[in-house]
Amino acid sequence: MTNVRHDLLGAIGGVPRPDVDVVVDARDVNKYFGRLHVLKDVCLQVRRQETVVIIGPSGSGKTTFIRCVNHLEKIQSGRIFVNGHLIGYRETADRMTLVEDKEKNIALQRQEIGMVFQRFNLFPHMTALENIIEAPIHVRGMAHDQAIGMGRALLERVGLAAKEMVYPNQLSGGQQQRIAIARALAMRPALMLFDEPTSALDPEMIGEVLEVMKELAREGMTMIVVSHEMGFAREVANRVVMMDDGVVVEEGAPEQVFSSPTQERTKAFLSKIL
Amino acid sequence: MSALRSYGIRSARLAGCLFVLLIVAGCAGKTGRAGFNFDWNVFFQDLSPFSQGLLGAVYVTVVVSVLSQAIGVVLGIFAALGKMAKFLPFRTIANLYIWIFRGTPVLVQLAFGFYGVGAAHLWGWDAITLFGFKITGEIQAGIVILGINEGAYMAEIIRAGILAVDPGQTEAAKSLGMTYGQTMSRIVLPQAARVIIPPLGNEFNNMLKTTSLLFVLGVIETYNHYNIAQGQNFQPFEEFLGCALWYLLMTTIWGFVQARIERRFSRGTELSSGGGAGPRNKGFAERFMALRAPIEQ
Repeated sequence: MTNVRHDLLGAIGGVPRPDVDVVVDARDVNKYFGRLHVLKDVCLQVRRQETVVIIGPSGSGKTTFIRCVNHLEKIQSGRIFVNGHLIGYRETADRMTLVEDKEKNIALQRQEIGMVFQRFNLFPHMTALENIIEAPIHVRGMAHDQAIGMGRALLERVGLAAKEMVYPNQLSGGQQQRIAIARALAMRPALMLFDEPTSALDPEMIGEVLEVMKELAREGMTMIVVSHEMGFAREVANRVVMMDDGVVVEEGAPEQVFSSPTQERTKAFLSKIL
Repeated sequence: MSALRSYGIRSARLAGCLFVLLIVAGCAGKTGRAGFNFDWNVFFQDLSPFSQGLLGAVYVTVVVSVLSQAIGVVLGIFAALGKMAKFLPFRTIANLYIWIFRGTPVLVQLAFGFYGVGAAHLWGWDAITLFGFKITGEIQAGIVILGINEGAYMAEIIRAGILAVDPGQTEAAKSLGMTYGQTMSRIVLPQAARVIIPPLGNEFNNMLKTTSLLFVLGVIETYNHYNIAQGQNFQPFEEFLGCALWYLLMTTIWGFVQARIERRFSRGTELSSGGGAGPRNKGFAERFMALRAPIEQ
């Protein structure tokens, strides 16, 4: 399946370049909730236009990890770089300790990182279109007309052009999640994080959301996806990362991880869900 | 529709109550002891909006209420955010403010703030002229002190409203690159407003009545207007009854306004786009049954 993807990328002239193109570079990330050690020296690199799917049992730290990538969670040690910028922190002069960055700088960094949540988190007091154009207008300072034009184009892209005046609670879960994806894309992020985007959906709506995500991957968006959708991982991922108990257990091409996992924990996990 | 109908029923009921009240007053005139006669002439004369000085006094009540409430809401937002701040001094200041102004009588605050602070030469409360209107020191003091007092109560109401907003909303806003200020003003507070507005309406209803305390500063507002009248004609029954009816009129009109505002702020919470019977437009019986329903199952 990856071959197909590379063909498509080739067709649009977006073949991944070598390692200079690292978008996410997480080094030895440690995270505690109180005494609970939820991320243990996690290292992960994601290159431009790559789709990485993180799998693993619940409580393994996958969601916590991607929340650290846009600093929704603090980390206790390690470094996370996105496009070469240290996320959420400044290093002290001796480069030994981290100091949390100013709120404004963090907000600036987050503009480059789109996030899609398990529970959609659309703004309920705004219509679908208003949800999408809110941040471009008030964060990026985009002109109103231009934002509306872009918002409509995005609605079209996720197949919901007819719903621009509708409030989120009048939309199905699948439609809400597609609006949420459009809302994140409206900021033209360099990276998209998906936190179990289909886990809160009824089975018949999962397909429509995955379809939008596949399309995005095909267009060359850099994506980290936490998901239990193994079919999606198999078809779209360049790399699958298996996490368990706060540790990256194994990573590799999907066919390798799914067909011939090297680690016992991966085998045990896959045998439970496949 | 159902909302309109319930207004109709409510106003009819209200008119009925007033009618009964007047009848009782009338009867008191006939059967009252010690030769008391209800003086219809004085009553209607002084109830009339055209009676000397009345509209001015009502105007003072309304303007002071609106401005004090506005100050209260603004201070309440800051105090609520202060109470929830990570930075300890902000929390301390907010808590101290709320503690002091909820812990002392507003009457004492008014007297202290105007007479006390004035006597200590801390603040003179001089009359000022704004947009051609002369605003006396008494009225300024009244507006400011009632506003500060109100802020302490609004703080808790606003904090509850903010806490009622799903934390996922804040996360979504942050993930789009919004700052704390943008997240609050664009995402959290508009959603908190739906929760804040019903108790805010109550607060304003209270404020309309609490302004009557300004008579201790010598402000001629609605209560003081009638108080002066009864001091001149020695007919407190007629005068204070009229005074009560004027307050009832103001709070009733506010009730209608409040219902409108609440509907406006329930944007995005009704399931049908037809603007029909949202949860807020149900009558008491319907809501009561809805509350009971899960228990019966």
